Amino acid sequence: MSKNRKSKVPGEPTGSGTSLLETATAAIQAFAPVNKIHQHLCAFHFYSHDMTRQVEAHHFCGHQNEEMRQCLIYDSPEANARLIGLEYIVSENLFMTLPDEEKRLWHSHEYEVKSGLLVTPGIPGPIERRDLESVCKTYGKVYHFWQVDKGDCLPLGVPQLMMAFTRDGQVYKELVQDCGKRLGVDHEKERMNREYMKGPEHGIDPLANGGGKGLKTVLREVHLPNNQPPSATRVFV
Amino acid sequence: MASADKSAGPTPPGQSMSVGQHMLDKGAMMLQSLKPVKQFSHHVCSFAIYSHDMSRQIETHHYCSRLNQDFLQCAVYDSDDANARLLGVEYIISDRIFEDLPDEEKKLWHSHAYEVKLGLLISPRVPEMIAMPDLENLAKSYGKFWCTWQADRGDRVPLGAPALMMSPQGVRPGLVRPDLVHQRDAKYHVASDSYKTSRLEIPEPEMISPFADYWKQHGKGFAIDIVDTEMILRAPFP
Repeated sequence: MSKNRKSKVPGEPTGSGTSLLETATAAIQAFAPVNKIHQHLCAFHFYSHDMTRQVEAHHFCGHQNEEMRQCLIYDSPEANARLIGLEYIVSENLFMTLPDEEKRLWHSHEYEVKSGLLVTPGIPGPIERRDLESVCKTYGKVYHFWQVDKGDCLPLGVPQLMMAFTRDGQVYKELVQDCGKRLGVDHEKERMNREYMKGPEHGIDPLANGGGKGLKTVLREVHLPNNQPPSATRVFV
Repeated sequence: MASADKSAGPTPPGQSMSVGQHMLDKGAMMLQSLKPVKQFSHHVCSFAIYSHDMSRQIETHHYCSRLNQDFLQCAVYDSDDANARLLGVEYIISDRIFEDLPDEEKKLWHSHAYEVKLGLLISPRVPEMIAMPDLENLAKSYGKFWCTWQADRGDRVPLGAPALMMSPQGVRPGLVRPDLVHQRDAKYHVASDSYKTSRLEIPEPEMISPFADYWKQHGKGFAIDIVDTEMILRAPFP
């Protein structure tokens, strides 16, 4: 298990001039897309090529419509949290329209929800469970861009496809307990309260969750098509 | 050959929100503090170009939050309205921090001086004078932008691997299509051209690293492949 060592992001503290300016812009501008983010959801991901690397993931989600959510993923619920990735969540219906190759990149949520691993801190149980009954049937696709579990102080390298847990014995107990203490959440209790929930109507698609196999992202250089040569002459800016 | 603008319809497929779901959402917003997503301080509109196919260019809307004087993290959308699609994430770092990156890493980053000075990058609704210090910061910065939803090619849901994006530059194929700029300018009642004068004096990095904007010197872009591999396990899967 890797601990999420909070390596400091390199750079000077924000100057007072910059702060003032950004208070001004925040007051003048409209932030409609991010103002739509309405829900905090905490769960755990692992790297699609390495189940031993597990990360606590704080999702901040907004609905595109009843069948799709889009989430920004941070490494903590605090103001100075690092934006480490994103997740798209779709209903079972939407998932079934995906091409087979695409399905492999998506993971099911049934176990995460029913096991109590996935929580919405601060929301009273009965209300939380109403929403999670829907989430239980959905599929998600997650990329992380910042490998904080490796101690990277900047988002280095290529995006990482992530997966979610699918059965008992996979997640590190200490990771969950540590999280539960900090958030004031009892994951075990949640599990008991969610026994009644049902997963996807058609069962978990065997192509989801990598089709049960490992996947990894690899960078490749590509030649630009013939009609896109770099120009020898430079335009002076 | 420029690709036709086959942007997907306004919303992804799926039923519209039920009343019940709306109520759940409102309830959550009241009870949870949502601190990380209250940190956005700046909306910036500009353009980005797919590194593996530079004929594909998109309008972008960055919502930026600052971690320190040298680092911004941005959620990138395809429009500024509430139904905007989350296209990806961009990280923006100062030239100081960029210089310390290994060369292999630098290849994934792009410079910002050109788009700032040519008025391609704007801060909607912010008077130019107020925006100036931010623009000066941005002009000397570098960005790394992964696009996970290729809505410009008609994807109604996010498909495939992330795509590395590049920034507009002053040489082909980094020049932004005029029709894209006109469309954006018309929406915000601005004229990108008019910013060139006011931004002439903005300082740029003394030397833009030859590894940034990799295509300029090397004629190559980058793609991400997702390949099968043996998963390192600690328990059976799935």
